[in-house]
Amino acid sequence: MRSAPPPPERTPAAEWQQVEVRYPFSARAAVGPLDLAIQPGERVLLLGASGSGKSTLLLTLTGLIPQSIPAAVTGRINIFGADTSSRAPWGWARQVAHYFQDADQTLCGMRVEDEIAFPLENRAEPACSMAAAVSSAMREVGLPDAWRRRRSSTLSGGERQLVALAATLAQDAPLFVTDEPTAHLAPAASRRLHALLTSRHPDRAILIVDHRLDELVEGIDRVVVLGNEGSIVATGRPRDVFRDARSLLASLGVWSPVSSMLDAALADAGVAPPAAPLNVREALAHLEPGTGNPDSIRKARPAVAAFLNSRTARPAAGDSGGRVVAGLSKADCAPFLGPTVLSGVDLEIHEGELLGVLGANGAGKSTLGACLSGHSPLRGGRRYGQLGGIAFQRPENQFTAGSVSEEIASALPRKTVDPEREWRVAEALAAWKLVGLERRHPLALSQGEQRRLALASLTAGDRWPLLVLDEPMAGLDAEGAARLVEMIAALARKGRAVALITHDMDLALRLCPRSVVLGEGRVLAEGPTITLLRDRALLDRAGLCEPSWAEAGRWLQRAAAC
Amino acid sequence: MASASGGVLKTLNPLVKLGVCLVWLIAAMLVFNPGFQAATIMAIVLVLIFVNRNSPATILALIVPFALFGFGMLTTNLLFRRDSPFATVLAGEALFASAAFSAGVTLFLRSIACGMISALFALTTDPGAFVRALMAYCRLPPRLGYALFAAMQLVPDLAAEAEQMRLARAMKSGRPRRAVPGPREAVSLVIPLLAYAIRRAGRTAIAMEARGLSPGPRTIANVPRFTWRDGAIVVIAIGVTALCGVPLLFGRA
Repeated sequence: MRSAPPPPERTPAAEWQQVEVRYPFSARAAVGPLDLAIQPGERVLLLGASGSGKSTLLLTLTGLIPQSIPAAVTGRINIFGADTSSRAPWGWARQVAHYFQDADQTLCGMRVEDEIAFPLENRAEPACSMAAAVSSAMREVGLPDAWRRRRSSTLSGGERQLVALAATLAQDAPLFVTDEPTAHLAPAASRRLHALLTSRHPDRAILIVDHRLDELVEGIDRVVVLGNEGSIVATGRPRDVFRDARSLLASLGVWSPVSSMLDAALADAGVAPPAAPLNVREALAHLEPGTGNPDSIRKARPAVAAFLNSRTARPAAGDSGGRVVAGLSKADCAPFLGPTVLSGVDLEIHEGELLGVLGANGAGKSTLGACLSGHSPLRGGRRYGQLGGIAFQRPENQFTAGSVSEEIASALPRKTVDPEREWRVAEALAAWKLVGLERRHPLALSQGEQRRLALASLTAGDRWPLLVLDEPMAGLDAEGAARLVEMIAALARKGRAVALITHDMDLALRLCPRSVVLGEGRVLAEGPTITLLRDRALLDRAGLCEPSWAEAGRWLQRAAAC
Repeated sequence: MASASGGVLKTLNPLVKLGVCLVWLIAAMLVFNPGFQAATIMAIVLVLIFVNRNSPATILALIVPFALFGFGMLTTNLLFRRDSPFATVLAGEALFASAAFSAGVTLFLRSIACGMISALFALTTDPGAFVRALMAYCRLPPRLGYALFAAMQLVPDLAAEAEQMRLARAMKSGRPRRAVPGPREAVSLVIPLLAYAIRRAGRTAIAMEARGLSPGPRTIANVPRFTWRDGAIVVIAIGVTALCGVPLLFGRA
């Protein structure tokens, strides 16, 4: 772990000087004015709420903004001392590897090995060194050799993201820029990616935007926080920022690692750790039974218990055997035009239940959701019960109308006429906190707003007793996610059955009393989420990880035994 | 679709296969003999089934559209040929002995033969390898070549996107998605799919630029090489074409 940034006298790997970016027809600047320098070998985490300009800042680095995406950019941007505008964006590919949030923004439609070789072909590397670089990148990311000749279009969303990562790593550039690399990755893959980014090549500078911070912050040198106006509002070592600027981050709706939240809970109990912690183990190290102060341990116990309770779902009425809304019996599930990915699935979901659907990338979670909802035909077996609605992984695919109001209105039953139609739209806008956005085009909304609109239109017609939510938190900031968590819980309280497909174990545990774990082409396990996520063998088998605060649970058991 | 085990023809250089298929196509266009066309069709069907391991059902499904097209040629020839004796034939002469029928049958078989030659190339060629060979040996500009790759990825993605759009519309109407879209539904998907394709093309262009796609010098990985098998396939193809021409001799006799 690194604790201090490298000496400042070196030529920065990347530097923004008084940079301001303004998109066409926009009243305010998306970014800046802003000054920021990344030193060679430095690992910088860029944080900010949705719409604070993080992605825009990244795209200005090699001139993709304004040369490929129109915007007015003032100020000066340098890469290793050279003005970015002195070359076309492709001219910086040797210096900067850019890993986009969406794998489709990185991949070009070739076979896996050709995708990885593409940047090397562009710089005219000889064939023999390309082959070695491709093999090395595949090994590092953990791609099976059998994938070499698979077309990237045949992979699942998460698998594509892994291939995109290998393709970006193969560039072997001294500056690696990445925008939410783990947004669609399963926990084990996400952990591997963070380890790759922060431990591989100590001379490589990293600028990373990510919401999953728990494994990441330990390998980060500096955190930079963008405010809602697109300028820097806090910067410093992770320990300092996550303790000293905690309330600022919360007010901006920016994610913090779970260690920072536990630090706050311990501080409230008067037993804060002496140094700001970067992980749960550090947060509780001074309270270790046997070596810690017994009085402090006694004070910490209820605080840690309350902290864990607030992150664990309690069984609701529907979980204990309410009316079955839908079910699958010996079902064989396959995606559209694809082969069978799950066989012999037996699963029921009950009224008012929140069911977690967990599994690694490509395990078949979305396919199971589509089959459970009744919108995807089974290859074998039987489905029974009522039809369900699906909130897609990409909410933009859900929209069919030209404005937020029309989107909700079009989801109401056809017989609904004014004034009932008007008040039902107004009611949905208020319930999903979309007031003021009525005339906006759905595609012009932020990620969080799009997800809320998708759910608003799904629930407006009161048609679906079952809702399948596919990665509903991907790309959301902390405030947006917290708001959505409340709304999803409210849906279940109102009696809807909700199947929640997620890679976020903390979220599954917080919302879903019961979960299914998918892997090896079938349902590996089904049961209480807390029990499943304590089974290390199962987690390893399914490519999952325990929740970020699991260490706190073990501490509580040790402390209770004392 | 070609099965994974039918790999012999897939290992050949796509440009050699293209050359062989083009020569065969030209021969099928120039040789106006039903025996030659029938032999060509038979040869390709046998190659696809026994060498490329395609199922007979797949081949039958491929023949159907070409056969329909060919049938159109046959009927047009019978009904509208200037010196068509169709009326006299109807009056009592032998239909099958007429010149119009003979020409129509040849045209019918030629349509199928040309279609099957194209199918042979398509079923035995990896499109990615073909584009790479074009870039490496035929100076296809890389920007065009990689645009073709992106387009190849876009086609299945467009189909998946259309499915999601149909599902979204079905959910709005509170019904399950129909198995086959109606004409109105299909038309209503055109603009959103076009918008998606444009958005996606923009993203891909940015991705390629960020990864260094430039007009400058470059190397190409996994370029299909020319091997002794390519020479062998040229010889075999000449032999098969010659065998297909055997009916010509009988025709003259």
